[in-house]
Amino acid sequence: MTWRAELDELRLRERLAREMGGPDKVKRQHDGGRLTVRERIGRLVDAGSFHETGTIAGSATYDEHNELASFTASNSIFGRACIDGRPVVVVGDDFTVRGGSADATIHEKPLMAERMAAEFRLPIVRIIEGSGGGGSVKTIETKGRANLPGGVGTSLGFHYTTANMAVVPIVALGLGSVAGLGAARLAASHYSVMTKSSAMFVAGPPVVARVGEDLSKQELGGWEIQTKSGAVDHAVETEEEAFTCARRFLSYLPSSVYELPPRLESDDDPERRDDSLMQAIPKDRRKVYKVRPIVEAVVDRGSFFEMGAMFGRSIVTGLARLDGRPAAVMASDPYFYGGSWTATACQKIVRFVDLAETFHLPVVYFMDCPGFLIGLEAERAATIRHGVRAMAAINQTSVPWCTIIIRNSFGVAGAAHQPAGRLALRYAWLSGYWGSLPLEGGIEAAYRAEIDAAPDPAAKLAEIEDRLNKLRSPFRTAETFWVEEIIDPRDTRPLVCEFARLSDKLVAPGHSAFPIRP
Amino acid sequence: MAEMPVRSELNAVVLKIEVALGDRVEAGDTLIVLESMKMEIPVSAPRAGTVAAILVEEKQTVEEGQKIAVLA
Repeated sequence: MTWRAELDELRLRERLAREMGGPDKVKRQHDGGRLTVRERIGRLVDAGSFHETGTIAGSATYDEHNELASFTASNSIFGRACIDGRPVVVVGDDFTVRGGSADATIHEKPLMAERMAAEFRLPIVRIIEGSGGGGSVKTIETKGRANLPGGVGTSLGFHYTTANMAVVPIVALGLGSVAGLGAARLAASHYSVMTKSSAMFVAGPPVVARVGEDLSKQELGGWEIQTKSGAVDHAVETEEEAFTCARRFLSYLPSSVYELPPRLESDDDPERRDDSLMQAIPKDRRKVYKVRPIVEAVVDRGSFFEMGAMFGRSIVTGLARLDGRPAAVMASDPYFYGGSWTATACQKIVRFVDLAETFHLPVVYFMDCPGFLIGLEAERAATIRHGVRAMAAINQTSVPWCTIIIRNSFGVAGAAHQPAGRLALRYAWLSGYWGSLPLEGGIEAAYRAEIDAAPDPAAKLAEIEDRLNKLRSPFRTAETFWVEEIIDPRDTRPLVCEFARLSDKLVAPGHSAFPIRP
Repeated sequence: MAEMPVRSELNAVVLKIEVALGDRVEAGDTLIVLESMKMEIPVSAPRAGTVAAILVEEKQTVEEGQKIAVLA
């Protein structure tokens, strides 16, 4: 064969690339309980489906005859693969080569991965470890000059890191210590997962020590900190679980905004009526209930996939299927401030409804909102600023919307239960309970003079409360058509499945009116 | 079994303490009821065990993340 020698050299270079940082560094990776980037890609994607781009890019040395003497691959590995038979781009940091840092990355590699995702309209999964291709202090010496972040020739990577969010699904996995640019690439995603042994921070412990904080990696950026802060969506025990989460998230989404979410066949009857829903809401209004079983009783069995469970916890957000059709589901969680909207819950809502809008997912909102969180801490957190942002985000959506009022709807946060400027579907359960503001405290404010003038103010207060309570039956509201429909809670699944079917005709592929931000 | 702290997951007021020191509890049993936004929010045992410490009193304010009891 004419080109045998050349083919042999190509295969040799590929083999050297697959050795990554060498046996010692690979052993260190394994000893730390972590897979190598190539193992990670292999386990994330459909078996044997990874087709790498730029395998033999790296740095080489040559002997005196200009023959290859040694070769170290770039620490950014990327290519195309399939997940559940659907093509994706995968890009991963190789921590065994210079800890994933920029001096061994060849920054055009991760950039091309992002461009490939954008231009071939494919979801991208970023597997991040180390500084994610960011510079290290050593870069100054290896390059002989100081890097201007975002300087000439380097800004495009930052462009795609955020701009791709409006084009293709981005899943980011933080597996190991993730810092600087790596942290940014992790956070600039629609869904991020870290393992519980990982840590993520803008700058690691040695740098933070210089500003006077003596903290371990876990103390600084462990999973509890990052999931509660909302910087990372989910934490898992093992890398295998992280891959499962990534695959599952993608299963609900179209490959890009130019497609619609994929419908699967469902074996769960859309007309199924779950009896548990009749007892789900306690009659005592001070008693809370678990909302996740309610969501699970309504959506296709086993299809609810929660995201961001540790952040903004008075709102539960996740993806689910309704008669096989993907939908974005929000639900109030009364275990956290009675389901009231906190500043962080509002931030979560903004990000979530923007995700739904970007990828054409109809929204179902199981609502039990007694209003915004009140009190000094809530004021200090600018709850109302975040609150009107959440309201604006809901109002800006164009995807079909359906709200089930399962208990409370009070105040401005109560009003923000569906897009204000267009028709959505709305159903109230028999347990529906609403008003401009709650009676408690509200009566004292509104009937001050009457109460003060009474010989027994406490008795007067009770009398007024009783009087008003008689008026607040949801049937009286329905009689006036201020709410269009009160339903038997068991009818919820048939009705939201009908909503999902109606939604088919209302969503169209393409860019949303505004690009989503991380 | 190692001791396990039970924390409040929100800022709240302690409404009722449902268990006494040394009580045997099952996973899911209510230990303490908190009050927030006029709602009663039960804090339940994350696992079976005995109540090794109760670190709060009724009517006391607690913060998110505060340790309120210990199971052994």
